[in-house]
Amino acid sequence: MIRNYFKIAWRHIWKHKIFSLINIISLAIGLSASFVIGMMVYYDFTFDKFHPDGDRTYRVTTQFNDPEGGRVSAGIPFPLVDVVKNDVTGLETAAFFHQFQSVNVKPTGTEELFKQQDFVVFADQGYFELLEYQWLAGSPQKTLSKPNEVVLTEDRARLYFPNLSPSQVMGKTLNYNDSIPAVVTGVIADFKERSDIIFQEFLSLHTAPQTNIAHQISGNNWYGVYNTSQLWVKLEKKTLLNNFQAQLDDIAEKHQMKEDVKSGSTREFHIQPLTNLHFNNELGIYDPETAVADKKVLFMLGLVALFLLLLGCANFINLNTAQASKRAKEIGIRKTLGSSKGQLIFQFLGETFLLTIFAGIVSVLLSFWLLRIFDDFIAEGIDISLLMNPVILFLIGLLLVIVTITAGFYPGIILSKFKPVRVLKGKNTEAGSKNELRKFLTIFQFTIAFVFIISTILVGKQISFLINKDMGFKTESVAFMETPYYLSSSDKQELLAQKLANLSALKKVSLGGQSPASFDQSTTFFISNHDGIERKTSVRMLFGDTEYLDLYEIPILAGRTPLNDTIKEIVINTKALEKMGFTNPSKALNQTVTSGGVPYSITGVMADFNQGSLKQEIEPMAFVGGMWHSSFEVIHFSFSTENYEDLSTTLAQVENTYKEVYPEETVDLKFMDETILTFYKKEQSMSKLITWAMALSVLISCLGLLGLVIHTTERRTKEIGIRKVLGASIRQINIILCKDFLILIVIAFVIAAPITYWLLNDWLQDFANRTELSWWIFAGGGFFMIVLALAVMSVKTISTALQKPVKNLRTE
Amino acid sequence: MLKLEHIYKWVSAGGRRIFLLNDLSLKVEKGEFLSVMGPSGSGKSTLLNIIAMLDEFQEGEYYFEEEAIHQLKSKKRTEIFNQNIGFIFQAYHLLDDLTVYENIETPLLYKNVKSSERKALVGDILDRFNIVGKKDLFPHQLSGGQQQLVGIARALIIKPKLILADEPTGNLNSKQSDEIMQLFQDLNKEGVTIIQATHSESNAKYGSRTIHLLDGSVSKK
Repeated sequence: MIRNYFKIAWRHIWKHKIFSLINIISLAIGLSASFVIGMMVYYDFTFDKFHPDGDRTYRVTTQFNDPEGGRVSAGIPFPLVDVVKNDVTGLETAAFFHQFQSVNVKPTGTEELFKQQDFVVFADQGYFELLEYQWLAGSPQKTLSKPNEVVLTEDRARLYFPNLSPSQVMGKTLNYNDSIPAVVTGVIADFKERSDIIFQEFLSLHTAPQTNIAHQISGNNWYGVYNTSQLWVKLEKKTLLNNFQAQLDDIAEKHQMKEDVKSGSTREFHIQPLTNLHFNNELGIYDPETAVADKKVLFMLGLVALFLLLLGCANFINLNTAQASKRAKEIGIRKTLGSSKGQLIFQFLGETFLLTIFAGIVSVLLSFWLLRIFDDFIAEGIDISLLMNPVILFLIGLLLVIVTITAGFYPGIILSKFKPVRVLKGKNTEAGSKNELRKFLTIFQFTIAFVFIISTILVGKQISFLINKDMGFKTESVAFMETPYYLSSSDKQELLAQKLANLSALKKVSLGGQSPASFDQSTTFFISNHDGIERKTSVRMLFGDTEYLDLYEIPILAGRTPLNDTIKEIVINTKALEKMGFTNPSKALNQTVTSGGVPYSITGVMADFNQGSLKQEIEPMAFVGGMWHSSFEVIHFSFSTENYEDLSTTLAQVENTYKEVYPEETVDLKFMDETILTFYKKEQSMSKLITWAMALSVLISCLGLLGLVIHTTERRTKEIGIRKVLGASIRQINIILCKDFLILIVIAFVIAAPITYWLLNDWLQDFANRTELSWWIFAGGGFFMIVLALAVMSVKTISTALQKPVKNLRTE
Repeated sequence: MLKLEHIYKWVSAGGRRIFLLNDLSLKVEKGEFLSVMGPSGSGKSTLLNIIAMLDEFQEGEYYFEEEAIHQLKSKKRTEIFNQNIGFIFQAYHLLDDLTVYENIETPLLYKNVKSSERKALVGDILDRFNIVGKKDLFPHQLSGGQQQLVGIARALIIKPKLILADEPTGNLNSKQSDEIMQLFQDLNKEGVTIIQATHSESNAKYGSRTIHLLDGSVSKK
């Protein structure tokens, strides 16, 4: 029976090739989008799901609040560790560790040096009580209790000792940063499943005092919080979260500073579930290279996939109900042969299912391609092999069935309702009244297409607005490169600056901190009290020598730049001027403000410029001169020529000079204008996504439209013939055939315009600098869609209209 | 076998009732070969459709082997139809997308007959009608007479007690027509009850009884 259904279904699909193709393509687009997005969702939701007590594992975090806002940190102040371990009830384990970043590791007995190794932490046995690892050598009980011990993951063990087995690695010595030896006392297997906990080398916590970061994990400062110092806890099964949080609140209150309370600031401790680790962008994960998953983005992508799928289903319903009259005879006969309604519906669902399976096969191929296109959007771990995962396979099967039912059930009902007697007598079987649904679905499709088209135009406009807007400082022909911060000698930096200044191709060279616009967020508070009112202003810091402002062509509105000496002088921007309560630049000159009790003299006022993505407002800023020389890690320079060929030779000269000073380091040179582009990475990938969603939704809608037009023109060939005999021109016939559809498209536009306006207006609110939501975006989008729809329809209508009327009349 | 009593069927057009069947009563015994004659529009097809339970009537009573059809739900009616009645059309009404074999097999599929049994049954009937060689052809590859043979074979496959034939030879030439009628007669002799609607006197003569319809009622017996 089933086999028979599929045989007939196959013949039917084959017989109506064009319609089948339209159906398969439109379903395949929706399906492949769902596959890819489904894989992304599955991938992101399967991080750290394998830990035995994962549901009871939490990270303790710190939150600072002050009247101007707040910030969170994944780190905690060091004294909290002992208090939590000793005084807090309801804990099974507490594990404290401190990340030891960019260390150089040298296995003793070899000449090889492994530079800037990451994912090294100072930890104790608590860590291995918190997280269960498989031990290849050593045991969790007997390790990390003494100084100068280290546990390695299998990967690291193999890296340092390529030819040794885990048990042979035991007892070998590694030398950290050329000074700290550590004996390997354990080798563990890397986690086999997806995890954000990616540490690879575990030095015993007692080793930390020997290092240069000893001060970070000692003392009794309840306010010094390093992101790298983290505390994880495993609660007892019966512990209530509220209870645990209440204890943290008590601790926070007990160790609060009096001044803080006075100024309205607070510092709180919170807990973050392990399940939240992969999704919390503020608190972050341990691998700086990978992005934290964004549930909002996943949700948005899910919506896109859903809409594409619905568009495909709408096509299917439209084409099949429109085609219903063609199948009426078959249905009539089948009923007289004894078929029940249910059997007929089942048969049609079988046909739909077969088509959906074809679409599914096509969409697996399409998924390959989509994965490649959205490479920058998709986490590295996702590839097509994920489709073979049993859970995913099951979900795909389920999706195919759901799509089959969504797309096939309604046409099935319509078709199975035909009365055999009427049908077999050849009476009119047009499912005429059901035209309403077809109209509704067509309007639905084009509404979505319009929303995407208009959004694409606006998002594109906003991005080009952001990129092209004047930042307020020189961005062309300026570049900068970092000097190695772990070689903190400033002599070499100055030597390099000196050498570069001698290059004739460089106009200006400056030693300073980060560029005027960067992700670097160094802020401090300044207290101003010039008019009797005490103001506390959060100010972003910019570091540089006397050339810095000049190089970036940042205008000085009043006063002068700081002298390169030890007097603490600052230049503030107009925004800071306002916040500090000065009415005009000259009033601020030579006034004194304090930061952390240290007085600073305002020597100048600079113009406002944007300090990062134009998404953000301009913040108060202070430019600080030479006394913070240790913050000078970057060498900035501007080119005297904009000639492209000269530029490449200049760059070669710069690199050579760098190599002369730092022969062992690699040059990392960045252009200012390129750096600015990186601020808009998120917006760029969103633009790409929306453009694709637009193209695909337009494609599906137009395919559906084409199918409907083919159907109506076939039905109306006789009418067309008669009209031609009566003298209608091709244009007139074309108008008659397209009119009904055009009305639907216009209605769709009328519905889409306000929805899109509302959506886009909402989106633009996220930007401090936004482009206008001009009328032409809507007009342009509408015009484009209508012209495209007309072109698609005309392909069929004109060819029909061109046929000789005699032929048309005879075919009826 | 079946009994119709005072059947009325009408359609409303422009506020007036047009009677398709008007107080029609008819009794058909088991083993009969009944020919229904009458001019176009006299209600022959409507009568057959009602007997086949494909169409409904407004008033009257219909008993099929003691079962009161007019009181049954449509699902039950379909079931009785499936078990007992084979229908043959003037326009053959074969399924275009199916081969001869599959066309004949279809009613068995709807009766959930097992695959091996289906094969045997279809094989038998192909043999009997001498169309084994044509079993993989599609309807459009056959002549009219051959198509009607397939139509009859398809009606017979479920071993019906009653065959309803609506002008089975209307589209055929006289030679083909005689062959079909001969076939009907043979079937009748085997015990199958047959009701055929026809325009042709000569076809009607193959039957054991003839009734004439006029304006929806039986005019003479």
